[in-house]
Amino acid sequence: MEDLREDRMLSDLFKQKLENEEITPSPSLSSNLMRRVGMREFLRFNPSRINIWYAGAAAAAGTALTLILTQSPGKQSREIPEPLPVEINKESAENTVNKNLSVPVITITENRQVAKSDNRIVDTEVSVSTDDNKPAAVSSGSNAVQSAEAQKVNTLPTTAVLNDATGKNKLISINRPQSFIEASVAEGCPPLKVSFRSLAGSVDSCSWYFGDAGYSSSKDPVWIFDNAGDYTITLQVFSSGVKSVSSVVINVHPKPLAKFDITPEYAVLPRDEISFHNYSEGAEKYFWNFGDGTTSDLFEPHHNYRKYGDYNVRLNAISEFGCSDSLVIYNAFSSSGNYIEFPNAFIPNPTGPSGGYFSPKSDESSQIFHPVFSGVTDYQLRIFSKRGILIFESNDVNYGWDGYYKGQLCDPGVYIWKVRGNFINNGQFTKVGDITLLKN
Amino acid sequence: MMSDQQIIEGCAKHERRAQQLLYDKYSRFLLGVCLRYATDKAEAEDILQDSFLKIYFNIKDYSGTGSFIGWLRKVAVNTAITHYHKNLKFRYHIEIEEFVSVETGVTSFEEDFFTSDELYKVLNELPAGYRMVFNLYAVEGYKHKEIAEMLGIDTNTSKSQYSRAKAVLRDKLEKLRTLKSRYSAGNE
Repeated sequence: MEDLREDRMLSDLFKQKLENEEITPSPSLSSNLMRRVGMREFLRFNPSRINIWYAGAAAAAGTALTLILTQSPGKQSREIPEPLPVEINKESAENTVNKNLSVPVITITENRQVAKSDNRIVDTEVSVSTDDNKPAAVSSGSNAVQSAEAQKVNTLPTTAVLNDATGKNKLISINRPQSFIEASVAEGCPPLKVSFRSLAGSVDSCSWYFGDAGYSSSKDPVWIFDNAGDYTITLQVFSSGVKSVSSVVINVHPKPLAKFDITPEYAVLPRDEISFHNYSEGAEKYFWNFGDGTTSDLFEPHHNYRKYGDYNVRLNAISEFGCSDSLVIYNAFSSSGNYIEFPNAFIPNPTGPSGGYFSPKSDESSQIFHPVFSGVTDYQLRIFSKRGILIFESNDVNYGWDGYYKGQLCDPGVYIWKVRGNFINNGQFTKVGDITLLKN
Repeated sequence: MMSDQQIIEGCAKHERRAQQLLYDKYSRFLLGVCLRYATDKAEAEDILQDSFLKIYFNIKDYSGTGSFIGWLRKVAVNTAITHYHKNLKFRYHIEIEEFVSVETGVTSFEEDFFTSDELYKVLNELPAGYRMVFNLYAVEGYKHKEIAEMLGIDTNTSKSQYSRAKAVLRDKLEKLRTLKSRYSAGNE
């Protein structure tokens, strides 16, 4: 009964004080909110509210699309010094085309699909169209239009027969069993080594443009792509004076970056649990090797080492494409380092002075102000109040301050400490800092 | 100055000015609600933003019969619950230092002894699950059965979390009171 009444009072206290309490939001909140409202309204397309914003967005989208379309041939022409016309030299033109007609334009469009399953390129069809009102050279304009699924490349199939004496607009489709580029892989992680093969048969010359400003004239080159990106590899071959072009896209995936950090910086083993902080980029799977024979696949694992040792901690970061990167921290917990580190706050035991001797086990709740250390020989710790009164002194590193001065618990607040001493092999150290005394 | 009715109509038409007025008028009250459900002010402001988005885009759901401020509060509370569920997997579950024994005499907490800042602080420090149940039951006035449905937990879980939340709050408030009286005594 008593208990019930008390509970009511506790609940009522919160209800009465907080039910209608007002808190002023940060000034930036309002503008952030309005921005989100704007975004949300924009995305909820409403035909009755078409206004300048939609018009603007449509224009922007259109411009972006145009830019993308015009950029791709631009990119290619930087890499290939001249447009790639399909040239028919004089003799062959005379042989195949009736002299009474002007020389027909030959636009050959090849639809090619890259089959991902076996990383081979499967060719589907080549269409040839002619138009007698234009000059004989055909620009490689169709290179400009590249869709995600199929690439269209100007090419002159070696088997194509231009049986077109009438010269009228005519579309001829021929099936080609094979493209004349074969690549060992279509995608992969950098550095990606790709072996190319020309399937054009015996030709007078081969020119490979690898899309990263690289060039080769060998028939079957091997190329290594160092950086991520989509590379259009173009092969030009000359055969009996006819230039043919084929191209293929190689997709080099971005490489992840493995990066991590270990805390605490100066671990006391085996007491401290070691935390591994993962700062990797572009990865989705992680594999840790702690160097003491144990592993983990967590994002940020914790680990307890049994003793000091020259552990090599390795993180493998693996991206969604299976590309991986690794980072190793060598000799992570070697025992050779001497150190002394102090905390910045502690809560003294309020029930009375404890004397200040501590062991890791007896001081789990940080009731005594003391350093963590290794290899300390001589040691002097002095603690001063803000007024400069010396309130504690210790010449024993195993003897810390319990927060009492002359039997009285000191007031909560900030105190200054100064420490001097020697490491076993590393010479002297002096450190100054402050400690905040908290009350429980 | 627009009336609530005008503000609501304006918001229904997505008028920026009405939205701003609604914000100016009620954001402080709603942040007061959100802060009870959050671990800190930053989280409370996240909840507040999401609440306002819901309010702006669903203002037609307000029937117009009940109290408007009550409807606003309900949206904020529901948003806080969604937020809690969304973040559940990221939270570390903090186990309570086993049962704080209920060896109290009748400790009544005088209403004016604690500031609302202090009350917010002890609420913010509660484990998230306790905080949800305590707020919904003690302040919002829902029944345990309703809370169980809202949070997707068992009715008994709601009851036991409520009583544990109270035990923790009582303990914290008592500590705070001792500290405060010691301080005020020390200063005099």
